[in-house]
Amino acid sequence: MPIPLQNANCPGCGAPVLFRWEHSIQTTCPYCKSVLVRTDVDLKLIGRIGDLPLESSPLQIGSEGQYRGKPFHAIGRILYEYDQGIWNEWHILFSDNTSGWLADAQLEYDVSFLTASPGPLPGPNDVQLGMNFRWFDADYQITNLTRAHYRGVEGELPFQYWDKHVVLFADLRTTSGRFASVDYSEREPLLFTGEAMEFDDLKLRNLRAFAGWTI
Amino acid sequence: MSSAIETPVVQSAALYCPNCGGSIQLRGFAHTLTAICSFCGTVLDTSTPAFRILQTAQEWQQVQPPLPLGSRGKLDGVEWEVIGYQIRSMESEGETYAWGEYVLFNPYRGFRYLSEYNGHWNFIRTLSRIPEGAVSERRIRLDGQVFRKFQSAQAQTTYLLGEFPWRVQVGESVNFIDYIAPPLLLSGEITGSENEITWSLGRYITGAEIWKAFNAPNLPPATTGVFENQPTPRAGSVGGIWKAFGWSLIGLMLVMILMSLMLGGRTVFEQAYEFDPKAGGEPSFVTPDFELKPPTGNVEVQMKTDLENNWTYFNLALIGTDGHAFNFGHEVSFYEGQDSDGHWTEGGKSGAVTISSVPAGTYFLRVEPEGDKTKATLPVHYRLIVRRHVINWLFPILALILLAIPPIIHSFRGLGFERARWQESDYPQGSA
Amino acid sequence: MRHPFYLIYALFILGMTGFAEYRGWSFTRANELHNVPRSIRENPGAYRSNYIGGFGGSGHYFGGK
Repeated sequence: MPIPLQNANCPGCGAPVLFRWEHSIQTTCPYCKSVLVRTDVDLKLIGRIGDLPLESSPLQIGSEGQYRGKPFHAIGRILYEYDQGIWNEWHILFSDNTSGWLADAQLEYDVSFLTASPGPLPGPNDVQLGMNFRWFDADYQITNLTRAHYRGVEGELPFQYWDKHVVLFADLRTTSGRFASVDYSEREPLLFTGEAMEFDDLKLRNLRAFAGWTI
Repeated sequence: MSSAIETPVVQSAALYCPNCGGSIQLRGFAHTLTAICSFCGTVLDTSTPAFRILQTAQEWQQVQPPLPLGSRGKLDGVEWEVIGYQIRSMESEGETYAWGEYVLFNPYRGFRYLSEYNGHWNFIRTLSRIPEGAVSERRIRLDGQVFRKFQSAQAQTTYLLGEFPWRVQVGESVNFIDYIAPPLLLSGEITGSENEITWSLGRYITGAEIWKAFNAPNLPPATTGVFENQPTPRAGSVGGIWKAFGWSLIGLMLVMILMSLMLGGRTVFEQAYEFDPKAGGEPSFVTPDFELKPPTGNVEVQMKTDLENNWTYFNLALIGTDGHAFNFGHEVSFYEGQDSDGHWTEGGKSGAVTISSVPAGTYFLRVEPEGDKTKATLPVHYRLIVRRHVINWLFPILALILLAIPPIIHSFRGLGFERARWQESDYPQGSA
Repeated sequence: MRHPFYLIYALFILGMTGFAEYRGWSFTRANELHNVPRSIRENPGAYRSNYIGGFGGSGHYFGGK
């Protein structure tokens, strides 16, 4: 049993650390940028993150939105960099205490959830553009293969995730806008499934403001 | 959890061109990966704080795009800012075609694009769904709609201005393939060694709409020719005019029913006669009087004979008791026989003549039949039937033809437009 | 209505059709005469204006009469 959600202090600087989700494994100290992992007995400092790269996602920790009528808010994120820029995987917590991911890649949004794979996933050396998979009564096609660099983390994550290097992702799309992604960062590939979303359909609030613009 | 959290305002970044020192204000925030110095044309990689020079331009001249960078306008209810402009060109059948592409930006809703060729515009967004069907096929579907392959070519970037959310340099090429379902344009850009396809969907939009939305200076570029996904002018109106034609036919039927009820076609005289051409004497005679009722209208005289391989010419005069007469004539002939094709007939045993605009009054007919005196034929028996106010079916047929002419012309014009469109295609319609 | 001109055109044609039917117009042209003497009833054979007027040209007239 991990330590309680409250009353923990950062082992690095002593600042109080708040967990918003009981299943969060990792968080970052907003004051000293320490990466903290919950163990059975305490918070363990496993490293420090540098400044996050300059990026312009309109979301931030605490941003709220809706997916299929279910409210969520952003509690953490992972930043990746690839040859066409930076993208954010926002860790979003739903009101029913489940969590998912909201990807913002140059303001194209996808919501997805960790999914038990309905079939065998190709290995990192076998995966190719154009491969087709029949999952959940839909035809998914691999449309992008992205080799990304881990660029930073912020806030709460459902696993320990820090200081990785090159990561391979395979993105899949369907004719109806469903989305899937195979993450090759772990020993076994992980499948995430969901759908592409329009900004206005996410009903986002508590966003960052951009000089000269209104939402 | 709706606690108001601190929302720092993200400022746009300003940088100085490492080549000429000119200042560059980035409109696309950190999304901009490539920026072009507006003073010297140097292409900069802005993805890192170092602003690496990707390409320096020689004898660079600033082109003023018809829609200026920095313009803002609302399309589909969302405000967009023009942040980038590139000129791309392609070769087809020995000709070079160049067109402009604008990058539109909104910090929440991302990127859209406008393309312009010969005054024809498309409002474009990239897709996060894929079409059904392979690019080798002539037809593919998106959202259930069929798109037809129009052209495939290589597009080369020949000029850059402003900012781009991807890495780009002058001289770079991509292959693209266009499918159309006017006013929509489904375009696939094929990039990378593994032929990754990025799909985008454009919608035809007029320069006037864009100029109004962006409050742009001067006039939009003049439109020439037919563009690949330009909607057929009055396309919806072709269906509309045929619908109007349908209503006209119903109207015509009502007019004819009304006229039949009003006029009715009454028989005013009927009598049987016999005529023997070989008999001597005076063949002409007059009928008893009959009344033609008002209003002024037509009179039909029918001749029903028992002619058999013979003819009779009827000289007729419809004479009013007031001395007013209409002279006319009609030949009735009927022939039949057997030949190698079997039984044949020619002509008919009956005939009719309609006299128009006959005033009301008391009338009689003067009849003078003529026949072949040389033939050893039987006497001809015939009936004369005079009818007043008969319906003339030629008028509704004529009306039908006249009513059909405008919709037919309308449809043909649409076909001409389609022909002009597909003349520009790599995949002409005929072979599709 | 997106085709006002067609509407006017169609109404004109329908009106003309109705009027032509009402007036009993025909494409056959009869030779119209006035002041035909009443005596024709007594002597129909004497009425010869038809030949002179030449309606129809039946082709069977060889001036034989």
